Amino acid sequence: MPDTFFTPHQRATVEAAMARIIPTDDTPGATEAGCVDFVDRYLSGIGYIYAKPDGSGFETLTGPSADAWRQRIEIMRRRYTEGLADLDQRARAAFGEDFVALSPERQDATLSEVEKAGSGAKASTPGESLGEPALQQTSTEVDLDFLPLLIAHTRQGFYCDPIYGGNRDRIGWTVIGFPGPASLKDVHTGRYTTLQYFAEGEADKVREFHDGL
Amino acid sequence: MAYSTKPDRTDVVIIGAGASGAAAAKVLCEAGMKVVALEKGPWRRKESFGGDELANINRYNLWPDPMLNPRTWRETAADKARLEMFCPVPQMVGGGTVHWQGWLPRFTPNDFRLRTVAGELAGTSLADWPVSYDEIEPYYLKVEWAFGVSGEAGANRFEGPRSGGYPCPPMPMSRYAQKFHQGCSALGWNSFPTPQAALSRPFGGRKATVVSAFAQQHGDPTGTRSSALNVFIPHAVATGNFELRPDCLVRELVLDSQGRIRAAIYQDADGNLVEQEAGLFILACGAVETARLMLLSKSGRFPNGLANGSDLVGRNVTFHEYSAAVGTYEDPIYAWAGGGYVSASTFQHYEHDDSRGFVSGGHVAVAGVGIPLPINWHLPGAPGWGAEAKKVDRDNFNHSLAVAMVLHDMPRHDNRVDLDDEVVDAWGLPVARVTLAAHENDLAQGRYLIDRGADILEASGARSVNKVYAQRVTGNCSHQHGTARMGDDPGLSVLNRWCRAHEVENLYAVDGSPFPTGTGANPTLTIMANAWRVADRIIATRGAAA
Repeated sequence: MPDTFFTPHQRATVEAAMARIIPTDDTPGATEAGCVDFVDRYLSGIGYIYAKPDGSGFETLTGPSADAWRQRIEIMRRRYTEGLADLDQRARAAFGEDFVALSPERQDATLSEVEKAGSGAKASTPGESLGEPALQQTSTEVDLDFLPLLIAHTRQGFYCDPIYGGNRDRIGWTVIGFPGPASLKDVHTGRYTTLQYFAEGEADKVREFHDGL
Repeated sequence: MAYSTKPDRTDVVIIGAGASGAAAAKVLCEAGMKVVALEKGPWRRKESFGGDELANINRYNLWPDPMLNPRTWRETAADKARLEMFCPVPQMVGGGTVHWQGWLPRFTPNDFRLRTVAGELAGTSLADWPVSYDEIEPYYLKVEWAFGVSGEAGANRFEGPRSGGYPCPPMPMSRYAQKFHQGCSALGWNSFPTPQAALSRPFGGRKATVVSAFAQQHGDPTGTRSSALNVFIPHAVATGNFELRPDCLVRELVLDSQGRIRAAIYQDADGNLVEQEAGLFILACGAVETARLMLLSKSGRFPNGLANGSDLVGRNVTFHEYSAAVGTYEDPIYAWAGGGYVSASTFQHYEHDDSRGFVSGGHVAVAGVGIPLPINWHLPGAPGWGAEAKKVDRDNFNHSLAVAMVLHDMPRHDNRVDLDDEVVDAWGLPVARVTLAAHENDLAQGRYLIDRGADILEASGARSVNKVYAQRVTGNCSHQHGTARMGDDPGLSVLNRWCRAHEVENLYAVDGSPFPTGTGANPTLTIMANAWRVADRIIATRGAAA
């Protein structure tokens, strides 16, 4: 089974759009973090849904959970296929070229148009709010429209554990200043602690109880 | 076939092996009773948990899969219900305690008599509890010591009398807790280290908690946080009296000719139907699923669901609501450290105060912003994408925190759980349908608590403050109560003061479903304490009518 889903053109379009969602500026962005690799592999099937907790590979899904994930992946593939076609159609209608060939400004304008169409609200620029967070604890990706789904996957690819193919060399974590664990294994074995980031002197009080300090 | 013949009759069947079911199992087994627990989900070992936000939060590694376990919600009975993951809780051995951070405040004495304290409130079914703080108090202490709770006795000025202190000193102080204490102190408000189900010191043969960033909503691979899975379940297993059957979904409870429950009918992992007989049956599925199972168990005697002659099963459901005022600071806060929930709290706005113009109040506490990363969160008001969105993440990830509230939503007769007439789950059973409209009191109280959170942010020197008011009750904090109220009057309650059904003498419920009111505090300590109290009563009466 191949570890990709997109056609070369779809992949280039996703990569270009992700580069507008988390752009490269004086710090690395979605491109450097490999966000497109993350989502391309995610959509390839159900082989990369859950990393093994010690980081030694990926779980094999079985039973009803596997069925549910096959359905979800299928729904998201369709959303990407249709959403990417729509993106190109809008780009060609407005600017006469495919999305991937547009300037960053025109790509932003095209994404804003998609956003406007999806929300029924006025077009927003990249600087405007998508609305208040619901403070929900859980998420349901399959309920999202194409652009919110792409944004969610870009953020996931930027900030997830590197084992999922994004956040390459911990780029996303470095950008926001999250020291993070060295690996999933470090969390799994209990070596990883965040006590150094507690109030001044607090870690010292409990140092004797912590191998990781 | 898991069983070639019908399994032996047992003393007690517990349905659900989460916080309350595991607590009851431990107590009953230690007294020598034979217990079979039927758990819908898997029995996962700590080694199966990891520090993986994608798996744990986004991909239903711990949360229920909405394709397999859907729920629906509508605001009123006149509306069409729609699919919504309303108030999900992990469905596995250990239940919600598997992925919680475990804030374990006690309810206050007035929580047990709010109807008396606050009077009648139109449009609600506010009620006193049939039990008092003093009756629950000894069990609070038992649970706190079993779990090795870390806290500071007496630090919460609004807490009721204690018969003993906490087994472990408070957790180390996070920077976000420090800000919270500073703000409260400047305002002249009492604040205290949030009591926590984690070991600040080695305790009971277990190591001190590692204080990972992957804590709240993540399972614990180290076993150093305290949960039903790593405390009560091993206690019950150690007795030799406990048989825990995971991946077993109870479809209904069936009666004998005397109107007592004869057996639980369940489907095992291989799809076989199995009948388990017992002397008594304890529901511990969480308030939503307990009500659902009662409603699924229809019979000639109870055509509207088990023990539901009063039509009260599923009604008066409450859920709390989680929202926050979010602040940013010049100096780094690292509010992801410890998973964002090694916190500080205040009950300054918890007790009812007539002068505020609404009933009751809630627990206000500090928390992190990501879980722990900004995958599933961004600052209120921040753009969703683009250069500015990236800058907001970068500038604020280490500099922001939330002062959150536990909203005490009011019980209402028409707010209820019943069976959806269209949607079924992966086992073909009708799912829980939540009908829920917030009362104006909920929204007014929510605005008040968020405003007080903003006061704390400002008083502690926040450079920006953003309030996110609750617009409705969405079930977003996984607390659920009240679907099988306990009370002394069978016309007004489903269960009696010992959480035994008024109408079925060998049926108990020990999760949040007996709670007449939701209170303004995190419920699981009280759920476990109450389950322990009920189990003690069952032992004392040996199953005779309580």
